[in-house]
Formats: sequence, structure tokens, C-alpha cells
Amino acid sequence: MSRSFDRPALVVAILLLAAAAIVAFDASRQTITSNYGVGPTAMPYVVCAGLTVLGLAHFIVAFKDGLPKPEEADGKALLWIIGGLVGLVACIALGGGFIIATAIVFACTARGFGRDALIVDIVIGAVLGTIIYVVFLKLLTLSLPAGPLEALLS
Amino acid sequence: METLLSLANGFSVALEPSKLLFCLIGVFLGTAVGVLPGIGPALTVALLLPVTFKLDPAGSLIMFAGIYYGGMYGGSTTAILLNAPGESASLATALEGSKMAKAGRGGPALATAAIGSFVAGLIATIGLAFLAPWLVEIAVKFGPWDYFALMIVAFVTVSATFGDSPLRGLTSLFLGMLLGLVGIDKLTGQARLTFGVPELLNGVEVTTLAVGLFAVGEALYVASKRWREPEEIIPIKGSLWMTKQDWKRSWAPWLRGTAFGFPIGALPAGGAEVPTFLSYSTEKKLCKYPEEFGKGAIEGVAGPEAANNASAAGTLVPLLTLGLPTSATAAIMLAGFQQYGLNPGPLLFAEKPDLVWGLIASLFVANVLLVILNLPLIGLWVRLLAIPQPWLYAGILVFATMGTLAVNPSPVELGMLFGFGYLGYLMRRYDYPVAPMVVGLILGPMAEAQLRRALQISLGDPMILLENPISATLLGIAFIALVAPFVMNGLNKFKAAED
Amino acid sequence: MLTSFIKRGAVAAVALAGLTTAAFAQMELKIMAPAAPGGGWDGTARSMQQALTAAGIAKSVQVTNVTGAGGTIGLAQLIGAKGDGHQLMVNGFVMVGAILLNKSPVNLTQATPIARLTAEALVVVVPTDSPIKSAKDLAERVKADPAKVTWAGGSAGGADHILAALFTEAAGGDAKKINYIPFSGGGEALAAMLGGRVTAGISGYGEFEGQIKAGKLRVVGVSASKRLANAPDAPTLKEGGVNVELLNWRSVVAPPGLSDAQKTELSGAIDKLAKSKEWAEILKARGWDDAYLGSAEFDSFLKAETVRVEKVMKDVGLVK
Repeated sequence: MSRSFDRPALVVAILLLAAAAIVAFDASRQTITSNYGVGPTAMPYVVCAGLTVLGLAHFIVAFKDGLPKPEEADGKALLWIIGGLVGLVACIALGGGFIIATAIVFACTARGFGRDALIVDIVIGAVLGTIIYVVFLKLLTLSLPAGPLEALLS
Repeated sequence: METLLSLANGFSVALEPSKLLFCLIGVFLGTAVGVLPGIGPALTVALLLPVTFKLDPAGSLIMFAGIYYGGMYGGSTTAILLNAPGESASLATALEGSKMAKAGRGGPALATAAIGSFVAGLIATIGLAFLAPWLVEIAVKFGPWDYFALMIVAFVTVSATFGDSPLRGLTSLFLGMLLGLVGIDKLTGQARLTFGVPELLNGVEVTTLAVGLFAVGEALYVASKRWREPEEIIPIKGSLWMTKQDWKRSWAPWLRGTAFGFPIGALPAGGAEVPTFLSYSTEKKLCKYPEEFGKGAIEGVAGPEAANNASAAGTLVPLLTLGLPTSATAAIMLAGFQQYGLNPGPLLFAEKPDLVWGLIASLFVANVLLVILNLPLIGLWVRLLAIPQPWLYAGILVFATMGTLAVNPSPVELGMLFGFGYLGYLMRRYDYPVAPMVVGLILGPMAEAQLRRALQISLGDPMILLENPISATLLGIAFIALVAPFVMNGLNKFKAAED
Repeated sequence: MLTSFIKRGAVAAVALAGLTTAAFAQMELKIMAPAAPGGGWDGTARSMQQALTAAGIAKSVQVTNVTGAGGTIGLAQLIGAKGDGHQLMVNGFVMVGAILLNKSPVNLTQATPIARLTAEALVVVVPTDSPIKSAKDLAERVKADPAKVTWAGGSAGGADHILAALFTEAAGGDAKKINYIPFSGGGEALAAMLGGRVTAGISGYGEFEGQIKAGKLRVVGVSASKRLANAPDAPTLKEGGVNVELLNWRSVVAPPGLSDAQKTELSGAIDKLAKSKEWAEILKARGWDDAYLGSAEFDSFLKAETVRVEKVMKDVGLVK
């Protein structure tokens, strides 16, 4: 018996206990209390207690049945989509604007779902992004993050 | 009788062609914008407020009413079709609705949502017209202790969303409560669990968590097992319209949902989420086909959607009778009243009966217009699901990020959205239910704030929870709901042993 | 012939008038509302946008929203936009407290003050059936036992909270023991008042006006220096012997590091705005009170308010 425990369940157990510890630590550092009734630390300690119990329960589960066994995941598909999402955050953070960000996420997701026409999808994504951008700006007077392409529009 | 006369008078205002037009514009805009996740009716009304400066008061308020009801309708569409609940009140709808949509029953799901909203809106608006002054007397009697007890009832019934493992359900719930702690504490104003990141001070947005866990998480999960078991989305299977069986299974949930939604919506701190949760778990308990829950049971769409709309009408009870804005939209509608120098409240009914009754009558009209507008659209909406899968999910992700980008385009917020998306993926993989997490985020902070307010008023004496009849009764219900399953189980075992 | 001459003359006159305002009309402004769309600051920013363009003071005005942390995230961004002479930010009294409460790394005094625009007096009320009749009655109770007087109002550290603390201090009570219960949104606080759950409530006058006029709430005092024009029957707190004054104001500030020319241009534009009839119409429609202070007066006013708020927040124990 080299593996008598379920690894995912053990990881969850450790994460839950760690979360409980962080909550307790944060609560213990609160300096301001309420004058009457219970203060801002009461609820954190309740949550902390709950997480601790759940963490311990996961420990037991880890050495008994374990969590349901998932099927193997398609790593490539996941990578494409997550890459697209990271690209979107980076694009917004670096001021690339909404349209480019939309094109990135659209094309990468479509690629992750098995389409093999990246250029076409980038164009579709950009067109979709442009339409959304214009509708938001003109009809709702909400300006989505603007970059070089958006500057051309106005 | 007097009420009926006033109402008839109101209809004569609301049915003027120009008012009808405003109402139509309102429901159309409301539906269109309500469909966008993250942009709810409150924001739409706020953005349209300056436009209406030059309109006459009755016209613009009628338009707002249309937007309000329309936004509620629109929210259910994305929840059902894309599994992206754009507002916390349509969370419960997404649970069963999205499952129905994937199984080709999107048509009936949208139909039961639309007709349920219509029925609920109609009954609740009648309630608003006839019961408002009486209902509001009770509503203001609700103290923080009573709200706390109500939250506890909601907490207990949440177990309906746990799936097969109470351990994993509770874990999800507590993680949600953990997220609820993040940000500025409402009662002392100090930061909790923010680790010096200023963006976290406002806490975790419910829509960010819901859209992340539901829509993004689902997209990742489906993609991850694409080769092994390609997901098949069937746009239409069987009837596009509700079958006789669907009608039979829907009408009672509509009425029960209304019965939850309207009174709780009328409570100043009741909100729209609690009644939808209560309705969902009630329908699960009462359903003749409980095994269908989690796989697309029509009751799980009919009930919460009716509760959601009834609570929208309920919110207008304190707004019109007392001038109490109890939701973001109501607060902006109040600003709308005030821009014409009108102050909602007891005097408004006496001073401007035309306006108030015109508004109430136009709620009826808005309801009818919405059903006329939405039912033919169902065929069109459902066809969205026929889009090739790569484009469909790519579109869903664009859609999911759009709301966040419009309201708060900070990289931290986007990072949270996608972090929650990945968490949602992992939770699906290991069979943790995601709904309890969102419920924990919604209910946790509400329950905490109400309990602390109660104890502040009682100077720390917890007996205040049991001394008040309403809170004592509610806590009793919660207790029974909690222990009853165990007792029944024990009794059954006992009986089995005797046999 | 004559008419065409008049027409031409009119065109020339308009063109001439256009030339004199051209310097302003070329201005492209960005106004940041450091809150989500739909809130009070957002409303102020969008109203300014409307009036600035309608009055021809600026060619284009763009409103952006930076959400979070009582506006301090927006403030940090403004401080970062050093030297940008076309950027403005809406802010208000609440931000002064939020900066302290959130331990914000940036401070309002770092920004360039442009003008105070509006202000609203707060009102202290009790339910009509309460035995408390006047500010003096309430002051006596607060002095006797601050714990037994529960206050309902808006968020912790906001204007309502500060007023409750100032009231307690002025009444001779211990501000540290104040029993203030923050409610989310005016509606909930009002419901708590009407249900008789709390002793007294504080909010902007407008929010309670309907209930006061309907006779469900009694005014203990308004926090202005003199009685309000729209409520001449409501006494001020000062009349009741509680020497407290507090206005919930809204203002605009600009980034730091502006040249004198930039400063003059911005404050000139806002000065024009504050005196325009378009702005007056908006104030009337929205029920806001004009409380215009030019940049110099606003600067010293802001400094005084910061000192005052900081002291109160320490007294109450919100900041250590």
C-alpha cells in the first residue's frame, strides 16, 4: 500500500486549515472593537471554527473514501482558455483597450474548444468587441477601457 | 372600493398613448440591459435619469417602472441560457434553468420564467395596490433580530443546494462566508482580510463570484473534457413551448414563489435573494420528481423566478408608502421622484394620486407588455444555443467579462473573476456544489450585520432573539427544518426495525 | 434687405461672442467619480458634465468611474496623474473620514483643491411618539448614559456618524461610549426609526423630509448654522443648546503639481459652471444646495475639516 490516502482530499484539508489560520490571525490583529454587543471579530472566529472542522473532516475523508475521482482533463484546451483570460487581464492592465482584449479572449477560447482558425476568430472577436464598445459608449454612456483602437473610434 | 376607483383612474393615465410608449421604451431598455451581466436595472435607471429631466414626471416614472420590471426579466434570460446570473436574485434560476437549456428545454424554461414573472408581477402589483398601507405597518416592525432569524431560516434551507455530499456542500458554503468577511466591516468601518490591497476594501462582488464560478468555471470544465465526452447542447428538444405537463408542474411554484417574494421584498431589509433561495428549497422538498432537481427541474425555475419578480414589486411597497428605498433601484427611483420635487410617502398618495396610481397601473401595463415582448423572443434566444460550441463559449466569456469591465475595470477585479472561474472549474471536477458558496457570500454578511445590530440595541443581551415573537417563531422554524430530517430518519429506522 | 442685414449682423455678433469663449470651449475635461456609476458622486460628476457642455464652458467632458474604498482608490489615481490640467475628481466630506479609516497612503491635501460645489445639512430626528422633544432633552440623555441612546445612520465613519459623535461631545457625554448603529442605505435606517428600534436617527434632511412632513418623525435639530429655507419650523441644533455645525459637502479637486496657469484655467471653468444657469437648474432639479467656495476659500475650509474629522474619529475610537 504505497498510496493509502487520497491526495486531493488531503490538499483540500490542508488548504481549509490554512484558510482558518489566516482568518484567525487576521481577526486577532483587529484593534477596533464595538462598544456594545459583539465586535468585528466574532464572525471571523465562527467561520474559522467552521473551516477547521471541515478541514479535519477532509483529513478523515482523505484516509477513507477520498473525493470523487475526476476524469483526466484536456490540459491543452485549459491552457488556451486560461492563456486567453490572462491575456485579457494583461491587455487591460497595459492599456491595450477593450477591443483587443475581447479579440484575445474570444480567439483563445474558440481555439481551446477545438477551432483551428485563429486569424478569423481574432477578427470576429474584434468586431464583437467594437460593437459592444460603441453600444456601451453611445447608448449607456459607459466608457469601457480604451486603448489605441478605441481612440480611432471617437 | 375607493382603491378600485383610484386604480381605474390610474389606468386612464397609464393607457394614454404617450405613457404607453414610455412604458414600452422602458421595458425594452430594461430587458435589453438586464440581459447584460453586471449591469442591472439600478445602473440602467441611473444612467437614464439625466435623460428624463425634460420629460413630464408621470412619463419618466412610468418608464422607470418599465425598466425595473424589464431588468428583472432580462436577468433570467442569461441565467438560463448562458448560466451567467447577472444579478444575485437570478442565481437560483440559473441552477435548474441552465440544466434545462442544455437538455433542449430552454424554451419551456424561458417560458415558465416569463409567465411566472408575469403571474407573480400581476399578483404582487395587486398586493401593492390593495395591501400596501397595511403591509408596511408590519414591515417596519421588523427589527434587526427578526432579520437575523430570517437569514437563519434561509441558511438552513440552503442545504437544498448541497447535492449528494453535505461535507462538500458545507465546505462550499463556508468558503462563501469566508469571502463575505473580506472588506470593510459595515459596523466599525475597519478592514478585514484585505492584506493591504485597497481594491479588496469594498469586498467581493456577488456578481463577480457568481459569474466566475458559474459561467467561467463551466466553460473551463466543458473544455477540459471535450475529447472524452463532448458536451452536446441541444437547442430544442421536444416542444419549444411549455407542455401540459410543464404547466401542471409550474403553476403552484409560481404562486408559492409569489407568496415568498412579495412580503419579503416589502421588508425594508428583506431583499430579493432570500425569497428565491426559500422558494428553490421549498420546491425541491415538494416536487414530485425530486430526482430531477440538479438535472433541470422546471419547478426550480418557475418558483425562484416568480419570487424574484414578486419581490421587485414588494420593494415598491415601502418606497411608495413611506419613501423608503430598500434596493439600489428603488433608491434611484426615489431620486427620480425628487427631481420633480416629489417626496414619496404617505402624503404623496393624497397630493398626487394621479401620479401614484398612474405608476401602479403602469406596472400592470409593463407586465403585460413584457410578456408580449418576451414570449416571441424565446424562439430567437434558444437559437443562440445553436451557435457552434467554440463560438458559443467564446461569446459567453466575452459576455461574462463585459459586465465587470463596464462597472469596475480594474485588473484586480478581473483577476478575481478568473480566479473564481478556475476555482469553479476545480470544484466541478471534484464534485463540490458551487451555489452554496454564492449563497454564503450573500447571506453571511447580512446575517452578521443584523445580529450585531440586534446585540448593539440590546446592549449585548442575546435573549433579545427569543423575546421577540417574530424572531422566536422564525428561529423555531429554522430549528425544526434543521432537526426534522434527522428525526424522520430515526423514526423510519425505528419503524423498519419494528417491522 | 433689412432683415437679411439684421441676420448677418446677428451672425457676426454670435461669432464674436463665440470667439471670446473660444479659449474655454476648446477645453476637454475628464471628471472622475471615485465610486460606481449610480451613486451620489457619480451623479455629481454626470451633472457637471451636462452643465459644462450645455453652458459651452468645455468642448467635451468625459466621466470615468473608479470604484472602491470610499473613493480612496480614485484619489490615489488622481494623485498619480501629476500635472494633468484636464483632470478633475468629485469628492466630498465622506472621503475625509474614509482616508483615515482605510489608512489610505494618499491624502486629500495632496490634491489641488478647486471648489466646493454643494452641501446638505444633516438632521437629527426622533420618532413622533418619543418622549424626547428637543435637542436639549436628547443631550441630557446622552450625557446621563450614552449607551442607552442608540443612533441610526449611514456607514461607519461617515457624516452621520461624525455628527452623532460631535453631538455627544457637545452634550458633555463620552464619545467613546457612543452607541451608533450603521445601516446600509437610508431606507433601512429610516425603517429602524419608524419602527421605534432606535432612539434617534441622523441623515440628510432630504431623506427624512417626507416622514417629517407626514408627522412620523420629529426634528430635534438641523446641523446648519441657521434654519433651512425649506423647513423654517425645524430648529437648529445650536438653538437647542448643542453647539454643533456640520455640512455634508461635495467638491471637486484636481491632480497635484499644476502650474498656476492650469490652476487658474480649471478654477475659472468651475467658477463659470457654478454661476451658470444650467447648473442652477440642475441644483434645483436634484434638490442640492449651492455651497460654492472658490479654490482659495475651499483650500482652507478643507484643511479645517480634515483636522476636525481626524480629532472626532480618534475620540470615537474609529482610528487609533
